[in-house]
Amino acid sequence: MEKNKGCEIWAIGGGKGGTGKSFITSSIGAHLAAKGKRVVLIDADWGGANLHSFFGVNRPQNSLSDFFEKKVPLKSLIMNCGISGLGLIMGNLPSLDSGDIKYAQKIKFFNHVKMLDADYILIDLGAGSHNNTMDTFLLADKMIVVIIPEITSIENMYHFIKNVFFRKLKVVLNSHGLKDSVNDAWKNRGIHGIKTLKELIAYLAGISPHIKDIIDKEMSDFRMHIILNQIRSSRDITVGTSIKSVCLKFLGMHTQYAGYIEYDNCVTSCINKKQQYMLTYPFSHVAKSIGRLSDNLIYVKEVTAATDEYSPGRL
Amino acid sequence: MNIPPEDYNKYFEILELGYNAPLSEVRSSYLRLRALYSSDSIVTSAIIYEFPDDSKQAILDQIDEAYAKLREFFKDKEADHGYKERPSVAGSDIEEYLANVTAFSGPALKMIRERLVVELKDIANFTKIRRQYFEDIELERFEALPTEVYLRGYVVEYARYLSLDPARVAGDYMARYRTWKTTRGNRS
Repeated sequence: MEKNKGCEIWAIGGGKGGTGKSFITSSIGAHLAAKGKRVVLIDADWGGANLHSFFGVNRPQNSLSDFFEKKVPLKSLIMNCGISGLGLIMGNLPSLDSGDIKYAQKIKFFNHVKMLDADYILIDLGAGSHNNTMDTFLLADKMIVVIIPEITSIENMYHFIKNVFFRKLKVVLNSHGLKDSVNDAWKNRGIHGIKTLKELIAYLAGISPHIKDIIDKEMSDFRMHIILNQIRSSRDITVGTSIKSVCLKFLGMHTQYAGYIEYDNCVTSCINKKQQYMLTYPFSHVAKSIGRLSDNLIYVKEVTAATDEYSPGRL
Repeated sequence: MNIPPEDYNKYFEILELGYNAPLSEVRSSYLRLRALYSSDSIVTSAIIYEFPDDSKQAILDQIDEAYAKLREFFKDKEADHGYKERPSVAGSDIEEYLANVTAFSGPALKMIRERLVVELKDIANFTKIRRQYFEDIELERFEALPTEVYLRGYVVEYARYLSLDPARVAGDYMARYRTWKTTRGNRS
């Protein structure tokens, strides 16, 4: 098997459930497929997979658990979901023993994912900051978080970003033979006067110039892409730019504000009718926004803070 | 004066801009950040609880400092190279001017807006209110403006965009409007 060099892996996550991760994954997938790209969607919501519902297809027999448990090749798990160029791999069926997957297994999984014959591979992650979720997130080429303009969602997102970066620091410092330095610092945070992630980073960077170099590099490479879903007024658009600013000023993290999506009741009714939204309402504001933000993700562009670009369409 | 521009890079960074940003962007970014960190938005209150009480103030101080420094930078640039981005902007001290404003009349608002390098087009795009109304507000063409309730809303939006105190601006402006209305009523 050869590694497919052209393929890009996007992971879609975010701390809170119900913000529209699966809807956005399915819609971006449908949009990219319509543009002639070969896309594979992977439902990696390890506990509650339901990405198939967005395409109106029934729950398939095979799922990722066959890959992990029976060593079925990933390629044979791809199912057709009614759109040409778009394949779907189902997540684990909700079972009581969908517990931890070992790190080595995740690496193996990713190596197989990279060998899939596709231009884009979109991985839909579950809510929460479970280790499985964060590791999958970190292994992707692009990390995408979906939020809505509600304080709970925003709070969970900050939490998620911090946890993901904390996890990343641990993995990276482990690989440099600095095992446990992060854990020790965090365990003894009372002694070192560390209260926040920013202070932890400053403390670790102060241990040695070597660690500082590693951390500086990781921080400048670490980039989350933010999608703001369910905005109800044009003023909500600025929530994205504000979050970008807060992440930088409070957490020291750079983020990309990839785009926003308007609130639309039709989305809910489409899901309930098992219709694919992008096929049913291709000319809606939501569909256009999805197209715009997909392009922003491909070319690593973002919604700018300039006021005149706030108004592509009236809400 | 030959200050290497690198010294100013950190100020551009604080205002979250590229190093080549023009004065108009410096201004709008400053206004946007100032509004964000001086209010209680959902975006800041979702994280602020983990940080010390004065952390927002510290950020505001940084933003103010960066803005003051960059204004100097543009002023020098203008003096050194005959560089002029927009007329009569750099160097004018807006806070000082604001302190001397006794009443927010149309012309006063226009003056403030021009000093802030904000274009009517920007306010119109942002507020989704027709540009013409803002022009009429500045020129105090009261007869062309809609009824009081709507007008007040427009003035509030205008003030908010410029980070002025909306209640005070609307209070002053609507008083002028009502004076005009009574005199017109007496004449007819």
